[in-house]
Amino acid sequence: MAMEAIIQVIIGGLLIGGVYALISLGITLIWGVVGIVNFAHGEFLMLGMYASYWLFHLMGIDPYLSILIVTPLFFLFGVLIQRAIFQPILDAPHLTHVFASFGLAILLQNLALFFWSPDVRSIKTTYSSLSLRAGDFMISFPRLVAFVAAVGIMLGIHYFLKNTYTGRAIRATSQDPSAALLMGINTKRIFLLAFGIASACVGIAGALLIPFYYVFPSVGAYFVLTAFVIVVLGGMGSMTGAFFGGLIIGVIEAMSGYFISIAFKEGIYYIIFWFILIYKPTGLFGRARLS
Amino acid sequence: MSHRFFLRPQGYVPFIALVFFAFSPFLLQNPFYLNIFILTIFYAALGSAWNIIGGYGGQLSIGHAAFFGIGAYTSTLLYVQLGLSPWYGMFLGALLSTGVAAIVGYPSFRLRGPFFALSTIAFGEVLHLVALNWRSLTKGAEGISIQFKPAMSNMLFVNKLSYVYLILGFLFFILGVVLKIERSRFGYYLLALREDEDAARVIGVNTTRVKLLALMISAFFTSLGGTFYAQYYLLIDPYILFSIEFSFQLALVSIIGGVGTALGPIIGSLLLTPLGEFLRATLGGKHQGIHWIIYAAILLLVVRFIPQGIIEGMKKKYQYLLSLLPDFRFEKKDSSPKSDHEK
Repeated sequence: MAMEAIIQVIIGGLLIGGVYALISLGITLIWGVVGIVNFAHGEFLMLGMYASYWLFHLMGIDPYLSILIVTPLFFLFGVLIQRAIFQPILDAPHLTHVFASFGLAILLQNLALFFWSPDVRSIKTTYSSLSLRAGDFMISFPRLVAFVAAVGIMLGIHYFLKNTYTGRAIRATSQDPSAALLMGINTKRIFLLAFGIASACVGIAGALLIPFYYVFPSVGAYFVLTAFVIVVLGGMGSMTGAFFGGLIIGVIEAMSGYFISIAFKEGIYYIIFWFILIYKPTGLFGRARLS
Repeated sequence: MSHRFFLRPQGYVPFIALVFFAFSPFLLQNPFYLNIFILTIFYAALGSAWNIIGGYGGQLSIGHAAFFGIGAYTSTLLYVQLGLSPWYGMFLGALLSTGVAAIVGYPSFRLRGPFFALSTIAFGEVLHLVALNWRSLTKGAEGISIQFKPAMSNMLFVNKLSYVYLILGFLFFILGVVLKIERSRFGYYLLALREDEDAARVIGVNTTRVKLLALMISAFFTSLGGTFYAQYYLLIDPYILFSIEFSFQLALVSIIGGVGTALGPIIGSLLLTPLGEFLRATLGGKHQGIHWIIYAAILLLVVRFIPQGIIEGMKKKYQYLLSLLPDFRFEKKDSSPKSDHEK
C-alpha cells in the first residue's frame, strides 16, 4: 500500500473535517446553551448553500464574498427561529423540542423542494477545480480555503467565549441558566444570541462548501447526521469536542471510503456513533448534561 | 359494563361510529377514495403501534421504519424466494423485528430524550444502508416486486375491499391491545416512566424492562404493517421502507392527534392522510413536497398551541355532544328527582 496515497486520503479527510467541525459547532452550541437538539441544523446548512448558490447565480457574487451577506442574514434567521419557534416551548418536555425541530427540518427541506425543485445544482468558479501542489501531494484549493476559514472562525468564537463579557455570559448560561439569570444575565437574550451565532456559522459553512459541493433540498440530512456523529463523539456541548470530533470523523470517513467502500462509509460512522452514544455518552470532551 | 352500557350516549355513540366506519367502504365505490381510506387506516394502525412506545412510554423513536422494513422484506423474501405464504411470513417478520427491538433497544434505552431519538435515527439509517447495499438479498435500490397472483393464501386480492377489511381488522386489533395496555399495571408503569423516569425507578418500576417490552410490542405490530404494505403495493424498496420520513409520519399522526391516547393516532391520521393524499393527487406532479410542508406547518402549530394534540380540544366538545343525546336507560336515570329523594 502506497504511503503517499494514505497521506493524501488523510489530508482530504482533515480538510473536509474542518467544515464538519464548523457545522457541528452550531449544534453543540445550541445544545449547550439553549438545551435543544436542533434537528433542523442540516436544513440551515442547505439554506446557506442555496443562499450562496443564488447570490452567485443571479448576481455573480463570489461565494467567498457572499459570506459577508450570508453571515448577518443567517444570524437574523437563527434569532428569528429561536424567537418564534423554540422560545415559546422552552419549558415543555424534551419530546416537544424534538417534535418542533424535526418539524422545522421537514418544513424547510420541503420548502426548498417546492421552490427550487429536486435538481442537483452546483456552481463553477475559476478555482473550483484548482489544486495546489505540496511536495508529492495535491491539495484542492476550495477545500483548503474551507478548512482554513472554518478553523479561523472556530478560533474566533473560542476567543469570544473565553474573553469577552458576552462570551462569559453565554458560558455561564450554558453551565446553569437559573444561576445565570440570578446573576443578572438576560438568559433569553443569550439564547437568541447563541442560536444566531450557531445559525451564522452553519450559513458560512454552506458558503464554504458550495464551490466544491453540490446542493439539493435534502443535502442537509446527509451533513446533519455526520454532524450529530461528531457532536456525540466530541461530547454534547463541547466546542473542543466538536473541533476534534470533526477532524476525526473526516479522516475516518475518508479512510473507510478509500479502503472499504464509499457505500459503507456512512454505515461505519453510524456504528461508531451508536457505540459512543451507548458506551460513552459524554463523548471525548463532554460534560454530563444528558438528562 | 353490561349490555346496558350501550344504552347510554357514552356507549352507543362510539358503537354507531364504529359500525359506520366499518361499513363506509361500501359507500366508497371510487378506487381513489378506497385507496385513501386504506391509507388512512394504515397510518392510524401504525401510528397506534408507534404510540405504545413513543406516546405512552414517551420514548421518541424516529427509527420505526426499520421494523416496518424488516417486516416487509422478511415476508416478501420468504414468499418470493421460498413460496411461503405471507400469512406465515408476516409473523416470522414480526418475530424477527421483536428480536431486533430487544437487542437494539436494550443498550439504546440507557439514553434519554433527544439522545434516544438520535440513536433510533442511526439505527434506521444503518438498516437503510444494509437494504440498499446487500444486493444479493434485497436487490438494492431496484427493490423487490411481488407477482400479482390473487388468492387468499397469497394475501393478494382483486377486490380492494378485502384490503380494507384486512387493515381495518388490524387497526381494531392494535386498538384492543392499546386499550388493554392502558388499563393494565404495565400501562401505568409506562405512564410513570414518561412523566418522570427517575421517580418511576425510585418507586420500584423496572424502567428498562418496561421500555423494552413496550418497544417489542410496538415493533411487532409495526412489522406486521410492513407485510401489509408489501402485499398492497406489490413493490418494496429501501427508499420508502427504511426512510426517516416514514418513521416521522408514524410519530406525526400520533403527535397531531394526541400522544399517549388510544384515539390520538386515529384522529391524527383521519386528518392528515386524506389531506396529504388529496394534495398529492391535485398538486403532486408540479409541486413536490407540498403535503410535507403542510404537515410540518400543522405540527409546528400543534406543538406551539395545543401540545396535547387535537384530541384535547375535541374532548370537551364531545362530552357536550354526549350530554345533549338521550339516555335510553329509562328506569335508572341518575338525574331523576326520585333518586335524589331516595338519597
